[in-house]
Amino acid sequence: MAKFAGGVHPAGCKQRTAGAAIGVCPAPEQVYIPLSQHIGAPARPVVSAGERVLRGTLIAAADGALSANVYSSVAGTCRGVIDHITASGKKAPHILIENDRSDESVSLPPLAERTPESVLARIAEAGIVGMGGAGFPTAVKLGVHGRADVLVVNGAECEPYITCDDAIMRAYPQELVQGIRLAMLACGARRAVVGIEKNKPEAIGSLRAFCGEDVEVRPLRTRYPQGAEKQLIYGCTGRKVPEGKLPVDAGVVVVNVHTAFSVYRAVERNEPCYARVMTVSGAAAGRPQNVWVANGTPLRAVAECCGGKEDCARIVLGGPMMGEPVFSLKVCTGKTTSSLLFLDASECENKVATPCIGCGRCVQACPMGLSPTFIEEAVFAKNYAEAKRFGAESCIGCGCCSYVCPAKRFLAQSVKLAKKIIRERKV
Amino acid sequence: MAEISNYKVAASPHKLAGDSTRRIMLDVLIALAPCLVCGVVFYGLYALMLVALCVAACFAGEQLYNLARRKPFTFDLSAVVTGVILGLNLPPRAPWYIPLVGGVFAIVVVKMLFGGLGKNFANPAATARVFLLLAYGSVMTSFIGADVGNFLQTDVAAGATYLGGGTSALASSFLHVEGYWGNVLQLFLGYTGGSIGETCVPAIAAGFVYLLVRRVIDWRIPAVYVLTAALMVLVCWGSASEILLQLFSGGLLFGAVFMATDYATSPKWRYNRVLYAFGLGVITVLIRRFGSYPEGTSLAILIMNLVVPVLDHYILPVRFGQCGKGGKPVPAVMQWAMRALCLAMVLALAVAVPLVNYTEVRLDTGRYSYVTEARREFGGAYVFTVEGSAYLEEYDYTQPLCYEIRLDASGTRVLSIDPVTQSTMGYTAELSFFEGKTCAEIAALTDLSTDLDLSATRTNTALRAMALECFAAYDSNLADYAPLSAPGGHITGVAQSGDLVRFTVAGAADLTEYNYVQPLAYAVTIDRATGRVYCITTINESTYGYTVDRNAFVGKTGAEIAAMTDADVAADISTGATVTNVAVRDLIAECFAYLDSATGGNLNG
Repeated sequence: MAKFAGGVHPAGCKQRTAGAAIGVCPAPEQVYIPLSQHIGAPARPVVSAGERVLRGTLIAAADGALSANVYSSVAGTCRGVIDHITASGKKAPHILIENDRSDESVSLPPLAERTPESVLARIAEAGIVGMGGAGFPTAVKLGVHGRADVLVVNGAECEPYITCDDAIMRAYPQELVQGIRLAMLACGARRAVVGIEKNKPEAIGSLRAFCGEDVEVRPLRTRYPQGAEKQLIYGCTGRKVPEGKLPVDAGVVVVNVHTAFSVYRAVERNEPCYARVMTVSGAAAGRPQNVWVANGTPLRAVAECCGGKEDCARIVLGGPMMGEPVFSLKVCTGKTTSSLLFLDASECENKVATPCIGCGRCVQACPMGLSPTFIEEAVFAKNYAEAKRFGAESCIGCGCCSYVCPAKRFLAQSVKLAKKIIRERKV
Repeated sequence: MAEISNYKVAASPHKLAGDSTRRIMLDVLIALAPCLVCGVVFYGLYALMLVALCVAACFAGEQLYNLARRKPFTFDLSAVVTGVILGLNLPPRAPWYIPLVGGVFAIVVVKMLFGGLGKNFANPAATARVFLLLAYGSVMTSFIGADVGNFLQTDVAAGATYLGGGTSALASSFLHVEGYWGNVLQLFLGYTGGSIGETCVPAIAAGFVYLLVRRVIDWRIPAVYVLTAALMVLVCWGSASEILLQLFSGGLLFGAVFMATDYATSPKWRYNRVLYAFGLGVITVLIRRFGSYPEGTSLAILIMNLVVPVLDHYILPVRFGQCGKGGKPVPAVMQWAMRALCLAMVLALAVAVPLVNYTEVRLDTGRYSYVTEARREFGGAYVFTVEGSAYLEEYDYTQPLCYEIRLDASGTRVLSIDPVTQSTMGYTAELSFFEGKTCAEIAALTDLSTDLDLSATRTNTALRAMALECFAAYDSNLADYAPLSAPGGHITGVAQSGDLVRFTVAGAADLTEYNYVQPLAYAVTIDRATGRVYCITTINESTYGYTVDRNAFVGKTGAEIAAMTDADVAADISTGATVTNVAVRDLIAECFAYLDSATGGNLNG
């Protein structure tokens, strides 16, 4: 097994939600479905205010090659396109749908044949995007025309607390393997490798029961960020994706476990992508669990379902290493929101940066081989060429540097800033 | 649902690894505690006061600087760490002002003036120690011996360190362990002269293990430093036995664990740290061996600290998936080079140590004209270093000579001779005259002339005397004699070791010219296997030059000696010498007579 250098080993904290059955978060009175739940152009609304929609009705169509269809997650009445806040704090167009509790649904038409073209077309039609968090339209990713021989399926789930992929691997192993085979068919890969961290033995066992020669389960070292794309490819295949290149340049396509499961649902069950499994966890969550959440559910509804407590010190959308802090429970979920954490004071830190003592832990911890402390120094000196020399462009934003820093410096943010400026100014 | 309102928004990552700057500094202080305790136990409460003064000076210096610059006070414990490390670097009897001057220099000049915590270019404690050494040279190099339990230490003896005084600074036996291993044990436990905290190896090791368990320091720096130093000692001294003595003495281990690993002044990337530690080891040993200071750790740390920014700037880790201009992956050259370096050093040590593993042999050096030191090689052979001179009449020049003469383990033969110093003009000794010969054969050599010329012959003659003295040194220091009962007469003692029988004889020479009877005492060793005199060692004779001519007797049989007339042993020099020779001839003849009379060779009967 190829082991990437660096990385950190935070406490897993997955026992709260692992192993329990997947629940359902009741659909709220109103859903705000974002038009942009993916990388690329926001979808173009195809419904107008007052129109009745069902669960599974196309409400916004992909706008261009790099975009994705958006479906209604409830049955009800469309109240038009409104501006609503997102997790980043900016306002963005959402389609507001009033739930009429009829729960009527509509499916995609059955797929007549299983050819690479038809499966790829169905994936695009169902609006599937990378559900690990990046939100890259899956049809675009899989449409590599045979340039990839290996499909790597990301079941590493290296972020602490999150167990939604683990739950899917345990609950739907057969369906998941079917989804993986469909994705292989679509991208033309001859074999698939499912990378799973060794701290999920049940998932490894349940998947292995359904794997054939073409799908291999690869237990990986438990080390953050094992699930980062390049580190995952290295761990599963031993290939290193060249700097600045895409996985397909190393002959690999990576999809998340949840994405592969959505492919199965779209092709075999004719269900478009309008709901996902989310982990709700943390010491300040009353009923931590994995739940099916309809797209567009406000976080307040999720918190009500899972019992957010008063002593909550921080709310995080995503994992504790890379997740975004939530400033308002009005923010709505989308295809890529994998978890919602209610952390109490012992689980999160309100840090104050102190002077760098030069311990070099960030350099040892960086899984990409960068020197975050020197990049930060260069950023403060506004010497972006120097920051580039220390590798700022290759940052994957995993946050290992900030995690290990005993001086509590905002290293990951500094490197991110350096990367942004280098890109903008073409240093 | 209860309303969630009291939450905050902050940047990711939300959960951090537990360490903080203050916790790290506290860990270092905990790791330093065993060294401090040992220092106080060995050198008394005064040493504790010195460390306390040093800490106070460092802490106060930092706060006063902050006050003067109108900056917030800092309580991150780093000044305390600097104070303790510098305090443990001081001699146990330094005057009270030394820690104050050193502490203020370390904190204000080295650290705060360059930007405070994390910005200093050199280790404050190491720099301050070097500064104090230059400014107060005699104070910083006068040490005292350790004295356990005497906390007030009212009267203490000045004690030399091994680095300053060699093995003579150490006890001949320590905790009932004799010789070399006794020296090693003494240095290991730190029961010797030295700075307060640097002598006790177990205490330093305890601190090292604690720091490793707490993951405060990178093990690479101390490990590679010590490995490199060991190899360099082997290269510079050519002796494996020196390695442990050098590693356990001075501040090498203390510096390797506590000073070289200082965060701000050591490289950030792990393989740069290997290179840095390699440089430390090389410089430390070079200073110790060839420099004018006996100790080089602080200076080496200071020098390598200056190299660190260059390493950090130019030698970067290879990034994940980094490609060169041609699109080919960049090889991790530094990583493999450093691994290969360490492996090569380990292999070199493993191969070389058994080859040059020998122990020093203590000689009663005052008694010899030529032999200066002796050591025992791994295979059992003895190596004597002899120094002498040959007077080259043709050139009116006294040529200094130095050879290394190897005798086999039983002291029977010369195995080989290595010239160290002799004429470079071609008047070299003819080594084949001596190599492989026994003591008697060398003594019996009459024709030492070579084809070349008189000067070479003089050199050979000098070497013969040196070689014979090696046998005498072996006889009186190394051969394992069992004492027997003495028969009386002029023979005062008899001892036997294998075929060698050693007589202690006492007589007198009547120096009529001076109206003085000179008492004489010699050790005469006779080899019973050959029936010849093996060597003659002087115990007492005239110090005015009326000394015995050993070459007249060594290598002769009892019959030959008995047949010598007074004229045969007459020396050209003076009648005083002749009288001495005559007396010695009679003493030796008495020894042979006793040997002949012993029935069946049983000397006890």
